[in-house]
Amino acid sequence: MTNVADAAPASGQVQPPARTSIRGLIAQTEIDLRLFGMLLALGVILLTFNILSGGKFFQPTNMVTLAVQASGVAVIATGMVLVIVSRNIDLSVGSLVGVIAMTYALLMTDWMPNVLGMGPDFPFRWLIALGLGIGLGALVGGLQGFIIAYIGVPSFIVTLGGLLSIRGVVWYLSSGAARSGLDPDFQLIGGGAQGSIGGTLTWILALVGCLAIVLLLINGRRQRRRFDFPVRPVWAEVLLGVLGCAAVVAVAAFANANLWPEGLAARIAARDNWGPTPEGGWQIPTGFPYPMVLLLGVTLVMAWLATRRRFGRYVYAYGGNPDAAELAGINTRWTILKTFVLMGILCAIAAAIASARLNGATLDVGQSYELYVIAAAVVGGTSFAGGIGSIPGAVLGAFVMQSLAYGLSFMGVNSPGQNVVAGIVLIIAVGFDTLNRRRGS
Amino acid sequence: MFSRKLIALVGAAAVMAAACSSGSTPSPSAAASGGGGEDCVVGVSWNNFQQPRWAATDEPGIKDTVEAAGGKYISADANLVNEQQLTDVDSLISQGAKVLILLAQDQNAILPAVQKAKDAGIPVIAYDRLIEDTSVLYLTFDNVAVGKAQAAALFEKVPTGNYVLIKGDPGDPNASTFLPQGWDDAGLKDKVASGDITILNGPDGTFTDAWKTEKAQSNMEAIIDKANADGNKIDAILAENDSTALGVVAALTAKNYGFPPLSGQDGDPANLNNVALGKQYVDVWKNSLELGKAAGQAALQLCAGTAIADLSITVDPSVQPPTGAAPTDFTTPGSNVVKAFILQPTPVTADTLNLPIDAGWYATKDDICKGVDPATGPAACK
Repeated sequence: MTNVADAAPASGQVQPPARTSIRGLIAQTEIDLRLFGMLLALGVILLTFNILSGGKFFQPTNMVTLAVQASGVAVIATGMVLVIVSRNIDLSVGSLVGVIAMTYALLMTDWMPNVLGMGPDFPFRWLIALGLGIGLGALVGGLQGFIIAYIGVPSFIVTLGGLLSIRGVVWYLSSGAARSGLDPDFQLIGGGAQGSIGGTLTWILALVGCLAIVLLLINGRRQRRRFDFPVRPVWAEVLLGVLGCAAVVAVAAFANANLWPEGLAARIAARDNWGPTPEGGWQIPTGFPYPMVLLLGVTLVMAWLATRRRFGRYVYAYGGNPDAAELAGINTRWTILKTFVLMGILCAIAAAIASARLNGATLDVGQSYELYVIAAAVVGGTSFAGGIGSIPGAVLGAFVMQSLAYGLSFMGVNSPGQNVVAGIVLIIAVGFDTLNRRRGS
Repeated sequence: MFSRKLIALVGAAAVMAAACSSGSTPSPSAAASGGGGEDCVVGVSWNNFQQPRWAATDEPGIKDTVEAAGGKYISADANLVNEQQLTDVDSLISQGAKVLILLAQDQNAILPAVQKAKDAGIPVIAYDRLIEDTSVLYLTFDNVAVGKAQAAALFEKVPTGNYVLIKGDPGDPNASTFLPQGWDDAGLKDKVASGDITILNGPDGTFTDAWKTEKAQSNMEAIIDKANADGNKIDAILAENDSTALGVVAALTAKNYGFPPLSGQDGDPANLNNVALGKQYVDVWKNSLELGKAAGQAALQLCAGTAIADLSITVDPSVQPPTGAAPTDFTTPGSNVVKAFILQPTPVTADTLNLPIDAGWYATKDDICKGVDPATGPAACK
């Protein structure tokens, strides 16, 4: 039933069932049941913690913390989907995040001022650092991808080697000590009250999102008409539009209910001469933090690459049947190499978030990310058999795993307990998925 | 660039050590052992020389003391591998070592090497890490005293209020037993019982897997969120070491919470910098330069045939054990009684930042005072 949606959420190929049962109605809306189920699971987890904490958990500020904590792993998980779909694995992501995070820290505290002659006042240092980090990520990812795709060493081995050796490089770069003191601009990538886009921009972003949903629905309908594909019933289109818009606006409103801490607001107000404090204190909404916006952008781009570009189709085709893909004339090696380059770039983005959050880098940044990332992708419905997996699913998977970790931490459960729960949930999630697939086929 | 810096550090440490030994106290014990120093070969087996601390402070402490008395220093690095360390000890013995200083990778796996040394009549010093064998001299810092110094410093600053406890890896006895025992020695348990102190994150605090900074950060963020949701204010944070304290500072910064008094341990450059910036209140520092000197002195005296119980070790008064210059009995977790010389840690606050700088610690004044306004910063940064 959901197999087509699994392979890729390609529209226009679904024959709407004519049944009028609830299941039939849901099928007519073409909602991806797997994604919907995960959203539901996430909701249940949040609700459970909210009840357990006596209503203190489901607050804007807590949810923003949770989102920021999940963003690094979620960013990499979007790429891990493509790697696993094409029947590979990448174990080196944690080490790569570590080495790039250390590179950012060293660039800004040492190399830029002392070697490159870019003092603290040099314009756009944060962007230059970010660019160099992304370049480094692409290079290391490309090298690993080359060895895997063109020399034919199994990805498990190559990236296991990467996991060990790249982590060692972190030590040589830093000579073992933590580095701190990044540029204030760069720190904004890590979120926090000042590292957020603010109330107005959040509303604008929400409206743009809303508009995009409606336009996509209209455009999709027109395209299907043009090629004589079956279209959704009008009520389903309207329902999707309204629900989608409502969800986007609700999330924006929720993020905007998170306010600047009073102390900070008062300090900035005094510094920038905002005038007298209004009654009830400054009420400045933070809106979406930058790491969340980054994650949103990455998810959209990756989903577009995966479902709307030839590259993505090739990845899924190769994962579904490598031999057939090869015989069909797909340059499979080049495709595989590109998935690892993409991984390196995503690691650089995640490293920027992690180091900005820490305002520096320690030897252990990114350690065991590979496990969290693979767990997120798998909980999000990616199959190790290859060919199956969705990018929004992986992002949701990352949120499910992090909401457990954060919630248990919030409730005062110690890390051994958190690990026990995370492990069990991982197995249960994949177990359910496997059962579902078997029943579906 | 890295090696240039390291050379500078080692050089600075060597100058300091030389200045110390030629200074006011030419230390009678060093002079006394100088006689037997000429043919004394001291073999040191490091378990992991990659950690910057050993090269920067411990090795110069040992090497300079031994060489100043005319002895010879030889060493090997086991790179975290137990088997390698056994081989290393063999080769140190065959190179003519008269005394062995062992930083054991594993306190039990090292035992065959200790047995070999015993058979050859070579005395063994267990350096910084315990070896479960009654024949060794155990040289270390007092980990319980580290916890006690952390808690005592915070209690003086914040006698009553809401505390958060951030502990290290749950599998490390330092994190789960020794440091908390020191906190209780300083009065944490009593203050909780009397209601002076409330622990916001459960009776046992929060453990941090593998002492990871990122983990400490996300844990602390959840603790801050919970405290805010409950309407509680965090007045002080007891963190067991510097890597976790760094994560706490990152969480406090992300939440714009301000910086309640916070403890740490290790004297890491980034953390001493935070002390100077007012983001961390106290960093309990183990001056391992002095630990190296103590090991050097002990090795020289053991070379000269002094029995372990009769050793007389002179270190800086700030780290001198309260029990005096002679080793004392120490009961190990394995119920062995060994002779031990246990140094005292030094709490460093903004007022005493000059201590590590003056001692030639590997965190230099530039590291410690980075970003500090000399006009308003601590005296050490002026």
